[in-house]
Amino acid sequence: MVLLREKEQEVTISMDEQPVMVFKDVVKVYPLPSGDVTALEGINFKVERGEFISVMGPSGSGKSTLLNLMGCLDTPTSGDIFISGTRTGDMTDKELTGLRRDRIGFIFQYFNLFPLLNIIENVTFPMMLKSQKAVDPEKGRAALRAVQLDDKLFTHTPMEVSGGQQQRVAIARALINDPDILLCDEPTGNLDSKTGAGIMELMSELNDKGTTIIMVTHDPNIAKYSRRTIRISDGRIME
Amino acid sequence: MIFWEIAKRNIKIHLLRSSLAMLGIVIGVVAIASMGILGNSLVLSVSDSLKTVGDSVIVTPHVGSTMGGFGGGAGGLSSISITEQNFEQIKRASAPNVAIPVLQTSDRMKLGVGSDEIVAAIYGLRPDDVPELLKLKEGGYSRGDSGCLVGSTFADDHKVKVGSRIAIGTDGDKGTLRVTGIIEERGMAFDVNTDSAIVVTKDWFDQIYNRNDYDSVVVKVKNLDDLPSVKTAIENQMNKRDKIVDVMDTRKTMETIFEAFGQITTFVSAIGGISMLVAGVSILNIMMMSVTERIKEIGIMRSIGAQRKEVMSMFLYEALILGVVGSLIGGAMSLLGGYAISALLLETTKYLFVASSLIHIVYGMSFGIVISLICGIYPAWRAANLNPIDALRHE
Repeated sequence: MVLLREKEQEVTISMDEQPVMVFKDVVKVYPLPSGDVTALEGINFKVERGEFISVMGPSGSGKSTLLNLMGCLDTPTSGDIFISGTRTGDMTDKELTGLRRDRIGFIFQYFNLFPLLNIIENVTFPMMLKSQKAVDPEKGRAALRAVQLDDKLFTHTPMEVSGGQQQRVAIARALINDPDILLCDEPTGNLDSKTGAGIMELMSELNDKGTTIIMVTHDPNIAKYSRRTIRISDGRIME
Repeated sequence: MIFWEIAKRNIKIHLLRSSLAMLGIVIGVVAIASMGILGNSLVLSVSDSLKTVGDSVIVTPHVGSTMGGFGGGAGGLSSISITEQNFEQIKRASAPNVAIPVLQTSDRMKLGVGSDEIVAAIYGLRPDDVPELLKLKEGGYSRGDSGCLVGSTFADDHKVKVGSRIAIGTDGDKGTLRVTGIIEERGMAFDVNTDSAIVVTKDWFDQIYNRNDYDSVVVKVKNLDDLPSVKTAIENQMNKRDKIVDVMDTRKTMETIFEAFGQITTFVSAIGGISMLVAGVSILNIMMMSVTERIKEIGIMRSIGAQRKEVMSMFLYEALILGVVGSLIGGAMSLLGGYAISALLLETTKYLFVASSLIHIVYGMSFGIVISLICGIYPAWRAANLNPIDALRHE
């Protein structure tokens, strides 16, 4: 009944007014032969539209589990997660995949571009998944220009450009479907400090333009670019 | 679609590995198709040789018969033969179909002054029966006792033409015959094998070889559906108490021969099929390698929104490309191989470019594509069902 009331509310509230992400009493337990391991215990937080949040915590604190749940790559053992008002707990794999494609943009530490595709194709890949047809490469070019990548590099393969440039391509790819949230996993972890700073400047600019960003990092210097920090330890939030 | 493009590029980037997998399919297709083509060409070749006699019932004396109706033949070739009385009985049993008595022997003959003596088969037929049994490619049927017909191979080998004269017997002691016509090539037959023989009138044959009995009787059956009943009628009439004649339904015999050839073709093609299965295992192996190498890529695709079926399609496309390209190359090579085998073994390629031979290429190619796809299913399924989190962590 509680859930039903919440769903009714969801209908009456416009999407722009809703929190982009809500975690309600989220617990994640991994059953192992040697005994259950509780990775997250009673996580509650809300991410409003336009926020720039960093998630920090020591190794083994549950950061990765939290990131997987935020990115709809995993489902909680108990509790609820809402992405733009949509409850993810009961979703099928197909629905979760659709949610990742349409509402979430991923940025990884190791860029994770497709080596067989050129830069334009890498950027437009999520668009093709969404539209199920060939897309106008001009849209890819516009997205790459928005992350300040030189036009000359557009037809190169990822291996032919620098790490910083690869991460800019990855950011353009993450933004191409106009997602509600940008999820970043150590976005500068594989870059030198100068290039990393450039990437963080770009992310700040994107946030200024309204992009909601959640960034997992262990680097306090990088976390400084965010406007709010969630600290996690032993599977609990210590905000 | 982008997944098709990725599949193509992955094959291209691992060209050597992909080529080796395709080679297996090529060999499999060639094995199946060329064996099928060879088998079918053999069937067609034999069929061509036998097709002129598919409408006959052949009656021959039963070997080992001791019936009084069968006596020693004057020609010396056969110890038993069919008497005039037996022939009349066969004729009545097979009516209204035409029963043709056949006399056969062989003798020496000379084809011109100064030429060497040769030995060839001589058939004796009643003049009215000849057009029923034999078609001419040149000249006309001989009516008088001094004329004869010659087989096409006989004519070619000995440069015999219409109007040529043939002296029969040692030094022509049995008389000279004038060639009035050349018989169309008949190939190997159950009734009379005239290609390398000469055909004379029954009266001349009787007169020269002092024969009154026949070596066989050929019943030409007008309605092919009547073949079994004509055969039964003759058997019932002639073999009431003891088996004195053997009755052969040529169509049934041909069917048995073709069935045997068909089974041989199937068996040999099945051996080819085993090589295709081996090729399939190679595709499976390569696809599994491809999946293992690209686990991280699969994880990225899944995390940014690729559905399971899309990941699966990417690997199936890869298997399909390997199968289709391998099968196309295999198909082309089968055609060349079939051409070479036909030319070498059958000395003709006319049986290659017919639907029943070419269909074996289609079978081989279809089998190659299907095997590739089947062997791609498990790796594709495995890729599609990888846990995106584990796949992303994979190094």
